[in-house]
Amino acid sequence: MTLALPRSVARRLTRRRPRPGLAAAGLVLFLALAAVALPSLFAGDPLAADPLRVLQAPSAAHWFGTDQLGRDVFDRVVHGARHSLSIGVAATVIAVGAGIVLGLIAGLVRGVADEALSRGFDALAAFPLVLLALLFIAIAGTGTTSLIVAIGIATTPHHARVVRAQTLVVRQAPYVTHAVAFGVSRLRLVLRHVLPNVLGPIPVLAMIGLGEAVLIAAGLSFLGLGPQPPSPEWGAMLSEGRGYLHIAWWASVLPGAAVTATVISLTVIGRLLQNRFEGRPA
Amino acid sequence: MRHTRPAAVVLALTLLLTACSSGGQQPAAVGRPVSGGSLTWAVEIEPITFNPHQYAQAKARLLVWNTFEALLGHDSQGGLVPWLSTGHQVSADGMTYTFALRTDVTFTDGTKFDAAAVKANIDQFFVEGYNPAVLAVQLRNLDRVEVVDPATVAFHLRQPDVLLLDFLSSPQGAQVSPKSLKEAKNLKAGGPELAGTGPFILDRYTAGQEVHFTKNAAYNWAPANAGHSGAAYLDEITYRFLKESSVRVGALTSGQVQVIEGVPATDEPLITANPQLSLSLSRGLNSGSAYSYYFNTTHAPFDDIRVRRAFREAVDVDAVLTGVYRGSATRAWSVIGPTSPFYDKTLEKTYGGDAAEANKLLDEAGWTARDADGFRTKDGKRLTVRLVQSAPFVRDRRDVLAQAVQAQVKQSAGIDLNIAVVDQGTATQALADGQYEVFDNSRADTDAGAALNLLLHSGGAINRTGFTDPALDKLLEQGRAGTDQAQRQAVYQRVQKLAITDQALILPLYAPADQIAASRAVGGLGFEPTAGVPGSAYHLWVSK
Repeated sequence: MTLALPRSVARRLTRRRPRPGLAAAGLVLFLALAAVALPSLFAGDPLAADPLRVLQAPSAAHWFGTDQLGRDVFDRVVHGARHSLSIGVAATVIAVGAGIVLGLIAGLVRGVADEALSRGFDALAAFPLVLLALLFIAIAGTGTTSLIVAIGIATTPHHARVVRAQTLVVRQAPYVTHAVAFGVSRLRLVLRHVLPNVLGPIPVLAMIGLGEAVLIAAGLSFLGLGPQPPSPEWGAMLSEGRGYLHIAWWASVLPGAAVTATVISLTVIGRLLQNRFEGRPA
Repeated sequence: MRHTRPAAVVLALTLLLTACSSGGQQPAAVGRPVSGGSLTWAVEIEPITFNPHQYAQAKARLLVWNTFEALLGHDSQGGLVPWLSTGHQVSADGMTYTFALRTDVTFTDGTKFDAAAVKANIDQFFVEGYNPAVLAVQLRNLDRVEVVDPATVAFHLRQPDVLLLDFLSSPQGAQVSPKSLKEAKNLKAGGPELAGTGPFILDRYTAGQEVHFTKNAAYNWAPANAGHSGAAYLDEITYRFLKESSVRVGALTSGQVQVIEGVPATDEPLITANPQLSLSLSRGLNSGSAYSYYFNTTHAPFDDIRVRRAFREAVDVDAVLTGVYRGSATRAWSVIGPTSPFYDKTLEKTYGGDAAEANKLLDEAGWTARDADGFRTKDGKRLTVRLVQSAPFVRDRRDVLAQAVQAQVKQSAGIDLNIAVVDQGTATQALADGQYEVFDNSRADTDAGAALNLLLHSGGAINRTGFTDPALDKLLEQGRAGTDQAQRQAVYQRVQKLAITDQALILPLYAPADQIAASRAVGGLGFEPTAGVPGSAYHLWVSK
């Protein structure tokens, strides 16, 4: 929205205006991280079922109500943060790591290797992420590990393409050609001069990619392809609760709200980082 | 969230004002049946086969009788009545059953129904690999089928066996056109290729979506107890496969379908609160065996009877059923359903729900240590038992029921129940390989003896406990040989006592029942006598 304004004006405007959205996003992320780090501090046992207290509406005793097995939905949402976010983080780490390696190779080696890798990225990027992940899970089977790897592989091309493009720019930079002229070894050249300078956009991409990974993870878990019951994963909780939506909205809506809030927060903060990054001279 | 149109509200109010005395539980059936029209019915389970000889899902039974018919049917008193036959005689030694057949019946492919057709159907079971389970149990004592004349067929047995009659009234005993048996390219899967004699013709099947039937206009041989004769009222009927109960209820309340079956107790208020809808609950429960967990005794940990008893004590079945079914389910205490004449009532309240006893038994069995997750261990191995559920058989939220049991056994005794809901092929493989410790099953056989022979006999096709005992086999054989009801009852009581009390092979959970919810415009809804499952579409009609 502010792109049309001169950058200095835009920045002053944004600085003056309070940013409740950003504050909320920060708060949500803080809570999510707290839930990941120390779930037992905030919530009880997410697996404790009480068949005589099923589908109870939210109350003082059960803030988010109880689900179809009489488990406390709040406890499950808090413990679910660890499942959902750790899948997202692990998948993003795989995607970023593989993306950097493959992007660097494509950008530096050029020739046939570059052609092959780039067309490979193009081909993979042509498929929807969920479809790719589904394909992998169909081969590797369901479960948390294969879910992580599936999402990691599916989101790799995105990172790899950015790293490759950056590499192509950096390899032409004077400091690189000078280093070559000084006879710096190939490995040192890559690690010391190329790699640090192609990594600039990665944290931003990773942040936005993380939101996406959490969303896909929840989606695939919803389909029953992720952590298996009784694991308190948000997508799985949504799925288990949907049969009771008519009579007990809280069992599915509240885990769904947790996914939504987390993904929006990650995206808002990712965009903020992106604006900051783009605002700085490279 | 429900879409309410103003016209619907006006109509609803009018109905309320004009008919406020009509009870909410009454099925529609206003006025006289009318012919014509079409209907869409959402069902919970998609059949794994449309060949009646391969029938295995109680929930598919209502589809079988649309296209196919058997020699015998059931009346509401549990007796057998002629259907495609006009009567039968049993020889004095109980070794020969002679049936007089109807002579006015043709299959929908034009083939005449006669004694040769009956023989062709039975002979088909003797084809290697066609249906070994039926061959091994229901047809175990059948020697041969004799075509006496076109209207008379005789079944010769090797030894007396009353289960033959039950077989001839079951979907597996339904009559398929001999021409289809010979020519169908995919015989075991069935479908439009297989012709029957029933009031409808299956003409279109879209896997994963729906199956469509049109009226068999030539049908004119309904059994005497059907209530009406001639062709069916409906011109066509479509069954849509909607496995989610909330989707089924939503489809009904939004008018996309006119009838649904499988209404969970949690959703019943949504139906009864809607004046345009009616809810019918099957009066009785399904016949056959109760939904139970069978313990695999062939390897650890359930080779130890103390662990089997402990598992049973660890589950508070009443609490679990209250939670999952809101008290609408009938608890089962025996492998035989409570409506069967063979049910042993003395088993009630003799076991179960004693967590202290469960823990004591497990301690005695050596499962004394606990791991970090709170599960019991022995020699460093966790007390894990696996339940493999085949998705096409998961009805009545049995997956949720399993999770409730899983939570119970963990909390009360530290047992790790591992649940996997898988496709039919994977489940069959796991069972064949013995990769399971708990097997879940219910059967809707009209004679519980058939279920017991399948489940408990050492040669039974689904003897998943792996338990074999010559004494038990002998009892089961006695049970099927005798025609005296009191004597059979005494034998089956001993069978139940042995399996439930003495050996703790089984954890009975609940007796399956069926529910139908429908638009009030639909008439003729009901349940099949004896079996208790929803009836075929022959009686259905839609008011215009």
